[in-house]
Amino acid sequence: YYVTASYREKRLDSRLSVLQSAVDEYNKAKNEFSAKATEEEMRLLRFQRKLDDEKGAGLLGLSLQATMEALLASGLNKQAEQLYRDFRVPDKRYWWLKLKSLAEKEEWEELEKF
Amino acid sequence: MAAHLSYGRVNLNILREAARKELREFLDKCAGSKAIVWDEYLTGPFGLIAQYSLLKEHEVEKMFTLKSGRLPSADVKNIIFFVRPRLELMDIIAENVFSEDKMHSARDFHILFVPRRSMLCEQRLKEQGVLASFINIDEYILDLIPYDGDLLSMEYESAFRECYLENDQTSLYHTAKGLMTLQALYGTIPQIYGKGECARHVANMMLRMKREFAGIQNQILPVFDTLLLLDRNVDLLTPLATQLTYEGLIDEIYGITNGYVKLPPEKFAQKKQGEGSKDLPTEPKKLQLNSAEELYAEIRDKNFNAVGAALSKKAKIISAAFEERHNAKTVGEIKQFVSQLPHMQAARSSLANHTSIAELIKDITTSEAFFDNLTVEQEFMTGVDTDKVNTYIEDCIAQKDPLIKILRLVCMQSVCNNGLKQKVFDYYKREILQTYGYEHMLTLNNLEKGGLLKPQSSSRNNYPTIRKTLKLWMEDANEQNPNDISYVYSGYAPLSIRLTQVLARPGWRSIEEVLKMLPGPHFEERQQLPAGLHKKRQQGENRTTLVFFLGGVSYAEIAALRFLSQMEDSGMEYIIATTKLLNGTTWIKSLMDRPESQTP
Repeated sequence: YYVTASYREKRLDSRLSVLQSAVDEYNKAKNEFSAKATEEEMRLLRFQRKLDDEKGAGLLGLSLQATMEALLASGLNKQAEQLYRDFRVPDKRYWWLKLKSLAEKEEWEELEKF
Repeated sequence: MAAHLSYGRVNLNILREAARKELREFLDKCAGSKAIVWDEYLTGPFGLIAQYSLLKEHEVEKMFTLKSGRLPSADVKNIIFFVRPRLELMDIIAENVFSEDKMHSARDFHILFVPRRSMLCEQRLKEQGVLASFINIDEYILDLIPYDGDLLSMEYESAFRECYLENDQTSLYHTAKGLMTLQALYGTIPQIYGKGECARHVANMMLRMKREFAGIQNQILPVFDTLLLLDRNVDLLTPLATQLTYEGLIDEIYGITNGYVKLPPEKFAQKKQGEGSKDLPTEPKKLQLNSAEELYAEIRDKNFNAVGAALSKKAKIISAAFEERHNAKTVGEIKQFVSQLPHMQAARSSLANHTSIAELIKDITTSEAFFDNLTVEQEFMTGVDTDKVNTYIEDCIAQKDPLIKILRLVCMQSVCNNGLKQKVFDYYKREILQTYGYEHMLTLNNLEKGGLLKPQSSSRNNYPTIRKTLKLWMEDANEQNPNDISYVYSGYAPLSIRLTQVLARPGWRSIEEVLKMLPGPHFEERQQLPAGLHKKRQQGENRTTLVFFLGGVSYAEIAALRFLSQMEDSGMEYIIATTKLLNGTTWIKSLMDRPESQTP
């Protein structure tokens, strides 16, 4: 089972390739949802790596929600925004998150703008 | 010693004694002083069979938990490993034995497999080159462990997972074996009913085992009249719902393991004022819960809303009893009063404990979150909007509430709607994966395989029909003085227990239609009794049914069955057996997959 195997892979590159095989298997099994979700996972991993390399943000392995949370917390609003659009996060959940992070940083002026 | 086991209709102490005898025999086989190395999982269940004192009588001097590396030093002749037959444990044992050999070799090693020895494990020990070091390799058959006067459990955690996800029927074999042991002690059970795939398997195995022993006739007058085997997957809904009995809530909030509960110490601290306040207990308070405690036996199965009243009534009785001392005039009266003192003091401390627990629980049940959660559960159970995405669940995900809570609710919606619409189903899954991480894909898959979470396959939702026919929802559930089992969930009557109730009267034939909607076959078998053992029943004598839940049972369901036993006109008493005592949280947890290593 490739998904399980992927978590055993320590290195990201090999992990991505194992996940790719998982996608292939899911497609063969006509399990559309899982195939898509796994592709999403790979996309997230790549995104996290890119940001980690650039900013040293330490995102790898976090869930999508946690990633966005971390981005907002460190003021990388644009990147968070990008994830929100790329992954088609429902508005409700994103606004919850955004409100929370603004409140935590006590940026009340930003909050007012909503 | 374990008096609470013998109060019930069936004296389960016989079973416990049989188990103790066998343990003694094994211990005596290894002459001389001993140390036991425990598989940690087994210590809890074993505690219910034999306390340390029994082991001590048989020259057990030291006890360790099994871990890799070297054994702690002990000046004993025998080292005995008490383990479950698991390969990973064999490796640890091998490591232990090796490191020991290097030091001195005057030790004898033994292994006791619980509940059964396994060829695979012995093979593994052989490969590791230590099999020859063992003098005794034996098995200790401990399938059904008595938990209370009317309750047996195998405490086989992964039974549901193995049966429904992995197609592994080991647990069913243990079940059948356990039932055979029970029949050897309590007589052949003449009638067997069952519902579900696994129930069918167990019944088949039992009948086969009986044929294998065809020569030996069991000459014991049967204690049980009927055995009812129920698959957990016949009723997936009940354990998902939050239990509302006292015992059920203790389990939901703090978790009861092997009859013990661990509670936060703060509430219990103030009682020891003499010691001063400087050392507040930081260890959680551990309490044993069973029917040996008079007060607990009285309130455990009540709806929590009725517990307060019961406690205050009890408090009045106890203080009235203490007041009596002023009326005691003669020496004889005083003597009598004093003789009752220990009993009264015990009652008072048990009252204090339960008042504290009830307060703790009340803090939670009166919270808004608890109420909202319950409202949503009840909406699902009554069939309100089960085909849409639920906004409460959505909010909970957005706020990152514990994943298990989310899964419980989503599964519940799925079960009440006989599967979710594809769109709703995918939406939830996406939300969960994005919020909690993609690694939970495996857990979702498991839930799907187990039937707890599924897309709607046919357009018809048969849950409303089942609900109506079996009267699963009672509008006017009476929590204080219940007249129906639905009080255990404040309105919802557990499906599994309704099936049991209908079986007793008027019989399953009246609900054929519904039985066909539920998964798995239903069946009836008879076991021939030797002539002369047919019980002559006196007028008004109750019949006894053993209900076996394959895949686990919740405390609220147990409460409901006890309630049925106590109803005057039911004519039936129930003894409960299961593979595992569970609640929604522990159940979902047993179905989760956690990839152990994350990327660093």
